[in-house]
Amino acid sequence: MTFLDRTTDARKFRHWPGNVEADYIYTSGVAGERFFVALRDEGRMLASRCTACHLDYLPPRMFCEDCFAELTEYLDVPKTGRVAAITAAHIDRTGAQLSHPQVWAFVTFEGIRGGLVHRLLTPPDQARAGTAVRAKLKPRDARTGTIADIEGFEPVRSRF
Amino acid sequence: MTKVGVIGAGMTLFRRRLEETGKELCFEATKMALDSAGLTRGDVDMVVCGTAPDAFDGVAMKGEYLLDGSGGYRKPYTRVFTGGGTGVFSTIAGWWHVASGLADVVLVVNEEKMSSCQPHPQSVFAHIWDPILDRPLKPNLVWIFAMEMNRYMTVYGVKKEDIARVAVKNKRNAVGHPCAQLADPNITVDDVLNSEVMAWPVQRLDISPPSDGASAVVLASEDFIRKRRIKDRAWISGVGWCIDSTMWTDRDLVFPEYVARAAKHAYKMAKIDEPRRQIDFAEPYDPFDYKELHHLEGLLLADKGEAPILTREGVTERDGKMPVCPSGGLLGVGNPIAATMGMKIGELFWQLTGQAGKRQIPHEVHTGVSQAWGDLMQYGSVVVMRG
Repeated sequence: MTFLDRTTDARKFRHWPGNVEADYIYTSGVAGERFFVALRDEGRMLASRCTACHLDYLPPRMFCEDCFAELTEYLDVPKTGRVAAITAAHIDRTGAQLSHPQVWAFVTFEGIRGGLVHRLLTPPDQARAGTAVRAKLKPRDARTGTIADIEGFEPVRSRF
Repeated sequence: MTKVGVIGAGMTLFRRRLEETGKELCFEATKMALDSAGLTRGDVDMVVCGTAPDAFDGVAMKGEYLLDGSGGYRKPYTRVFTGGGTGVFSTIAGWWHVASGLADVVLVVNEEKMSSCQPHPQSVFAHIWDPILDRPLKPNLVWIFAMEMNRYMTVYGVKKEDIARVAVKNKRNAVGHPCAQLADPNITVDDVLNSEVMAWPVQRLDISPPSDGASAVVLASEDFIRKRRIKDRAWISGVGWCIDSTMWTDRDLVFPEYVARAAKHAYKMAKIDEPRRQIDFAEPYDPFDYKELHHLEGLLLADKGEAPILTREGVTERDGKMPVCPSGGLLGVGNPIAATMGMKIGELFWQLTGQAGKRQIPHEVHTGVSQAWGDLMQYGSVVVMRG
């Protein structure tokens, strides 16, 4: 009986191999269009403002999730942010060992709701929450209008 | 049970490809529905989101992804899903939130962004088949509909021309719909009969298109409606839903028993014992022209095999005795699976409150029925509404 056997290989049974073929094209949307074009063309990071709730959203949204107003006003996010939390990945999502640990950070900006998750461009032993950081962008020619136009966040050295 | 009314509705344009993200589509529909009800998000107690397989949008946990645009932030929020049946079922889920006394005001928001899926959502549909019995044969979803349509035609001796009349009627009705994707004021039966054969007898113009879009409705308790003195409301007087065998080969291909059972449940609640006399108009699910006929018979609004005759005689035209899909339906407005709520529940609300504009049925109507069809093509959901 199946239930009594420990089976680690389903191919021992009569079977049919399959896969779900589906590729996707995701649009970045109305607010995403503003954000990524400004990032690519001007190297700016924009938030959208809800004047009613005194909230600025990063990444920008087309609407306030709280008061449900449509948001049409955009403003620059402060250049310097702060690392709120870090992790260092040692294995990738398939379980394979990475040659070097990858450092990831959640970066927040004063007065801004939300923040960005991105690479932290420091060695793991120097990565810590509380560090002041700035976005390091790819050169203009290499930017294509995606989140990867940001290479990562690096510490603001002048502050230390 | 608390009496429940629909007090607002909204929907986005339906198009093959829209720039907005799914969240943004939800926001636009939800904002429109709230505005039409004269409410704000703060008035909303609970939110129901209806959306079909995650694989269309390509976002796992799609309900959670859509929640901010759906007005669900920091509220009791649930996603429901019965495939295409979600178009009517999500309103049933919203209804029980209010009918039970748990909530006074519930938002129901349905969304689909099928254009994300490349090259065509058909590649995702291909995987609803049984992985052992069917998938090794590389079936296409249209095969099922083609065989069902052929069986219906064979048993009742229905001519293709009479089925094509449904596509013509609905695409013409959609001319009055501001969101419509495939309205055509000049389409003829010959256009349908001469369109590309996909899987005989299904031709290109027998089928609704894949679409992007969102729709929303606001439901409220009788107390709330009275206290706020809301004038534009349509009462939900009956609901029903039912699913047939999981095996396609075990179903009656000629008569949709699952629709009939759901309809009987809804009619009993609504105290309807003579549906053809007591129901003034219908919005059955019409992703294919023959399905409107199938569903009219399942809804007991036509005898078995009679729906094509009623269509030929003009009974189901907007100015006929029993208008069917005055919205333009999925064939005319478009088919963003769950978001078809805009033509099913939304249209009933707009017709019953006299807000359907160019689509308004020219004679007085008091009772409408809407129905959606889905899951593995064996699910029916039915809502009866009264003005």
